[in-house]
Amino acid sequence: MPEAAMPAPPADSTRRATATPRKAGAAREATLHFALDGVGTPRIPLAESRERARAAYERLALPSWRRSGFWTTSLEQLDLEGLERRTHEPQPSGPAFLDGQRSAGVLLQRDSSVVHVELEPELAERGVILCSLEDAAREHSELFERYYLRRLPIDRHKLEAASAAFWTGGAFLYVPPGLHVPDPFQIVYEISQGGTAQYVHTLAIAGAGSDVRLREYGLAGDSDGDSLHAGQFELYLEDGARCRLAQVVDWGVGGVHDVSTSSVEVERDAWCHWLPALLGGALIHHHDEIAIAGTGGDMAFRGLFFTERDERLDVFAVDLHETGPSGGDVHWRGAASGDSRASFEGLIKINHGAQQSHTYLQFHSMLLSASAELDAIPSVLVGADDVSASHGGTVGELDEDLIFYMQTRGLTRPQAVRVIVEGFFEPLIVQLDDPPLEQLIRERIGAKLAGAADEIERYALAR
Amino acid sequence: MAELEIRDLHVRTEEREILRGVDLTIRSGELHALLGPNGSGKSTLANTIMGHPGYEVTEGQILFDGKELRELAPHERARLGLFLAFQYPVAVPGVSVANFLRMAINAQRDEPIKVKEFGSQLEHAVKLLDVDRAFTSRHLNDGFSGGEKKRAEILQMAMLQPQIAVLDETDSGLDIDALRTVAEGVAKLHDEQGIGALIITHYQRILDYVKPQFVHILMDGRIVMRGGPELVARLEREGYDPIREEVAANA
Repeated sequence: MPEAAMPAPPADSTRRATATPRKAGAAREATLHFALDGVGTPRIPLAESRERARAAYERLALPSWRRSGFWTTSLEQLDLEGLERRTHEPQPSGPAFLDGQRSAGVLLQRDSSVVHVELEPELAERGVILCSLEDAAREHSELFERYYLRRLPIDRHKLEAASAAFWTGGAFLYVPPGLHVPDPFQIVYEISQGGTAQYVHTLAIAGAGSDVRLREYGLAGDSDGDSLHAGQFELYLEDGARCRLAQVVDWGVGGVHDVSTSSVEVERDAWCHWLPALLGGALIHHHDEIAIAGTGGDMAFRGLFFTERDERLDVFAVDLHETGPSGGDVHWRGAASGDSRASFEGLIKINHGAQQSHTYLQFHSMLLSASAELDAIPSVLVGADDVSASHGGTVGELDEDLIFYMQTRGLTRPQAVRVIVEGFFEPLIVQLDDPPLEQLIRERIGAKLAGAADEIERYALAR
Repeated sequence: MAELEIRDLHVRTEEREILRGVDLTIRSGELHALLGPNGSGKSTLANTIMGHPGYEVTEGQILFDGKELRELAPHERARLGLFLAFQYPVAVPGVSVANFLRMAINAQRDEPIKVKEFGSQLEHAVKLLDVDRAFTSRHLNDGFSGGEKKRAEILQMAMLQPQIAVLDETDSGLDIDALRTVAEGVAKLHDEQGIGALIITHYQRILDYVKPQFVHILMDGRIVMRGGPELVARLEREGYDPIREEVAANA
């Protein structure tokens, strides 16, 4: 059954993103089996998949999720009908924050419209395609049809159905076999103001033996009023392809609800380093799944998040091994301040026959306020007998001895806290091997810490 | 020329009174040793000088160049030129020794230190303390051996160039080679930079390599005896018991 079938929270709940304490119970175990598990949507024409998704959209109610067994995330209060799908005219330049960075190509979608696409001419000559997904469906129909929705369902819950039915613009990237592209492709989804509904879809293919860097951004300035970003992302790494994928989500202060599913398929001897950085949003519900689909496939799946104020975050990260030998290394870190609540479920799933799969899942958390909550649920499902799969984790708070130590070296208390939290995320950030992106993430974490400084101080003094 | 003056210092933790009237004055260029049995209050004194929030000063004064420190946060005391080498340095995950040093130096200056200037200072300090340059790219104290932690403390001292440093049992847990390196490092810093130091120790071994001019013995929260290097020799010969008896007889 889809996740949307979870019990609804009490009708009297008034918060936009409700977090209702619940007793752990039988329904909890069901989440283990919500992995996509390679199930996509059969190859059907785009119009037909949109029609099916629309029917599901109309049938289904707004979802609530009960991730951890302790609390529930609900979108039932979201006024979906009140949100607008805004369109925009094309513009001559890309997003300002990328100015001065080297890029292989840039695609910018504002609300419902792709407003800017640029691709290095030399790469275009060598067969690279970067365009809106709308254009790809028309102009590169063979590639589009071969991959579109291969590993993504369209009707597990209302917002997934909405995304599949209503997406506009979208991004399509194709890198032909054997091509090494050192500079990153940058895909930016931007929400321009409150009251917006944005439905998007990214489809990226790295041909056999290619080497690609891809960054996807979800960004919004501070805004008033609820918005929705419902996204689907799929990346296919053909045999021997290598990809560094980073997804940076920062919806700012305001009411952006982000409900997205990302799927990465790693074929034979291919390799992926994937890092989602979830740095802000009223409600983020992400299902991120990486599947090793070919022998010798390997991956490093990193992730970080930092919630503040009354943000809600719910991540389901899946490390799926469909065949072996295969490798995996999942390492997520999360911090929570304010009244925020975050829940991380990591699942290792090794299918029957995926012998000699070796993987490890670790999650580290840090609480920065007394009223924040952070849950972690590691799960391992193993269907083969010659494998290694294990998990570990830590739960941390600010260490007063460490703060004192740094103070005696001249750092102020807020400086010391910043060093600790940055140091907490640093093991993941340094692995990005991408200085502009590393700097962006460090700056954003620094800004969040500065914003939460008073409350972190109160928390520290109260303990 | 700096002066740290402690007057009639009384300190308590939540449980009990630990220091019961300590008087001690340390000037730059002077080497002091503070010896005492376990539980006499040595670490309490070190932590209180730097402003650890777990210790409450109930009476007395701590003055740095005549300025009362009691109301100052630990970082403000550091910026005046005080330094504490910890008995148990904590790990700073995710921050390399070099980056931490740069942060600490910049915290004490108006303008950030120039890359070149920092590099040559670090080069010098690394040589002085006989550590491998690769050491400075490891995360500070993270997975360090006992000896590496203590060397990292002295390396920080060398780079921060305090006026007066308190070394809290820097010799504990070190083998003889590590002890010699650390102690000689302290002696060189004293000679080169003219820092004043309060060397707190339980054993006397470190004093084979650093020769204090002033020796103080702390027992039950009070300094019960003062003298020169000859006091170290006496302690080594007789242990604490005869001193305890002598103090009791004179009381």
